[in-house]
Amino acid sequence: MSSNLIAEQAPAFLDSSADLEDRETRRARHRSQIIRLGSIAALVAVFAYFGVAAPGFANLGNLANIVEQSTVLALLAFSMSIVVLGGGGDVIRGGIDLSLGANLGLCAAAFTVASNAGFSDPVAVAITLAVGAAVGLVNAFAVVALGVLPLLATLAVMNICGGAELVLTQNTVISANSPLLSYITGASWLGLSMTDWILVGAAILLIALVHGTRWGLRLQAVGGQRQAARAAGLRVSAYLTGTYVAAGLLAALAAIVQAARLSGSSPGSGDILLSVVLTSLMSVVFSRRLLPSIGGTLLSVLFIGGLINGFQLLNVSSYWVNGVQGVLILFVVAVRSLSLRRGSV
Amino acid sequence: MTLLRKLLCTGAAIMLSSTLAHADDVPSLKGKRIGITVAGTEHYWDLKAYQGQVDEVKRLGGIPVALDAGRNDSRQIAQIQTLIAQKPDAIIEQLGSTPVLGPWLKKIHDAGIPLFTVDTVSPYSINDTTSDNYRIGEELALKMASDLGGRGNIVVFNGAYNVPVIAIRYDELRLVLKNFPGIHIIQPELHEVVPNTVQNAYAQITDILTKYPHKGDIAAVWQAWDVPQVGATQAIIAAHRDEVHTYGVDGSPDVVKMVGDPNSPAAAVVAQQPYLIGKTAVDNTARYLAGDHAIPPYTFVPSILVTKQNAAAAARELGQN
Repeated sequence: MSSNLIAEQAPAFLDSSADLEDRETRRARHRSQIIRLGSIAALVAVFAYFGVAAPGFANLGNLANIVEQSTVLALLAFSMSIVVLGGGGDVIRGGIDLSLGANLGLCAAAFTVASNAGFSDPVAVAITLAVGAAVGLVNAFAVVALGVLPLLATLAVMNICGGAELVLTQNTVISANSPLLSYITGASWLGLSMTDWILVGAAILLIALVHGTRWGLRLQAVGGQRQAARAAGLRVSAYLTGTYVAAGLLAALAAIVQAARLSGSSPGSGDILLSVVLTSLMSVVFSRRLLPSIGGTLLSVLFIGGLINGFQLLNVSSYWVNGVQGVLILFVVAVRSLSLRRGSV
Repeated sequence: MTLLRKLLCTGAAIMLSSTLAHADDVPSLKGKRIGITVAGTEHYWDLKAYQGQVDEVKRLGGIPVALDAGRNDSRQIAQIQTLIAQKPDAIIEQLGSTPVLGPWLKKIHDAGIPLFTVDTVSPYSINDTTSDNYRIGEELALKMASDLGGRGNIVVFNGAYNVPVIAIRYDELRLVLKNFPGIHIIQPELHEVVPNTVQNAYAQITDILTKYPHKGDIAAVWQAWDVPQVGATQAIIAAHRDEVHTYGVDGSPDVVKMVGDPNSPAAAVVAQQPYLIGKTAVDNTARYLAGDHAIPPYTFVPSILVTKQNAAAAARELGQN
């Protein structure tokens, strides 16, 4: 083959290569669309089934209960999704915050102890937010400044938070009663409790922030292609630090809601971590590019909340929920792994 | 004995004669849905009391809506919230932390759903079926004081004081010890944890035996339930400090067996009858739903002090053979 012939055929080769790439991209997009629409259809089908079969499921009060019961998990899952978005989706090397559950427990203890020490609600809230943000900063320091794997760094911080909570509470239940806690559990507006409104407000705010602002889009760029983002002049370290601090602040907000629901601080709050990780993982099937999103996280949390609620209304043993949740996660992880193997979406 | 105590004991006597003796006369629960919410079932006591309730609701023809919170306060609150929306004919709540549950038990009451409790004192409960924890605490403390000859240092686990029945047993210990000035509680008191209670109690007792290394430094370990007792007893055996004896409450089969072993440092356990407690709570509920509103606020189910001397006979009486 002469060099002329190669030169003549090169554009054709490049064209066909570009076509192939386009086809692959289109296929990948098509696949993720099918997964996304299929997941939404499954959610709608499950809720429709419960609506028909489970007595009282579709009542407005019961639906509000589902939202209320999901609020703490949702706020923590939002945190996890933000950290994963900024740190990347790689399970081992990517963004993850395993300290969220323990941070929740520590912040709830901080709020309760501050409240019982006579601090007013605004001061107790400020202390709680400061504790949550401080935990986020420690995570960020370990990950960004020291370069420790997020998985290991946040695992260590989880233990620090757990220990600090034990020091504060002596591993006992501490009850608290304040106007703010009573307001969160007692007040309602348009048939929804304040807890519901906190979730609605946080979801709207975070969807706008993460998916509708320059900061959010750049955050996704940092998580998707860190080198490219750095080359483009983005301050990657600042974005990563921001995700951990935001996660800490959301954990503090979740802690105040939890303190209201439990009338104080109760040991064992860290048990929620597994649900947070699983829910955040699940959220990818509700997004266009199989990446975590705030909307997808919200749907995942409500899906799990609806399942638990529906099972109880149908008088199906609560033990089944764990099994079903596990199957869902296995499905989601398998779908994501297959998609990644067949090409990026 | 306080006035309240006398009243409770009188109530117990009345209930024991009127309820336990006529267990076969329990009205049917046919067509009735009974919500059963329990804090957890990982301990022998919890599981047997839970099974006692579920079995009895089914035996009486009712439909149990049985919910196990897996020792997670948030989950139990969510389950109670959904249960209220389900509007069952009655709800039975078993154990859990009073400060956490209090407002939610009030919501059950406010929703007009008859509330019964197992081992949980609440102003919103129509009836609480439980052991006589005043007697349990007193009996265990007196047995320990007697074994110690009225003198010695004791280690106390006091990490679950927020659970009312535990608080009663601990307060009774303190009351008894007022009259035994030669017995001292080593400070600070220990705090058992949940979960990993056995392993943690083992580690804590190992540490304290190291801190007090001489024979006679510690005479006994007291705990208000028997899961830490397992860990404490194992730690004492491992440290070859058999002069230290352990005392606890609940009477799981493994602990009753341990007490029966003449070589074990486990000296005594007050065994409750959790299955009978659960069953009795449902019987009370059935009677109330059948129109008997004269149900007294407390039903006390007898417990047995198990010692080295009577362990075999007690195990038979408890149906643990």
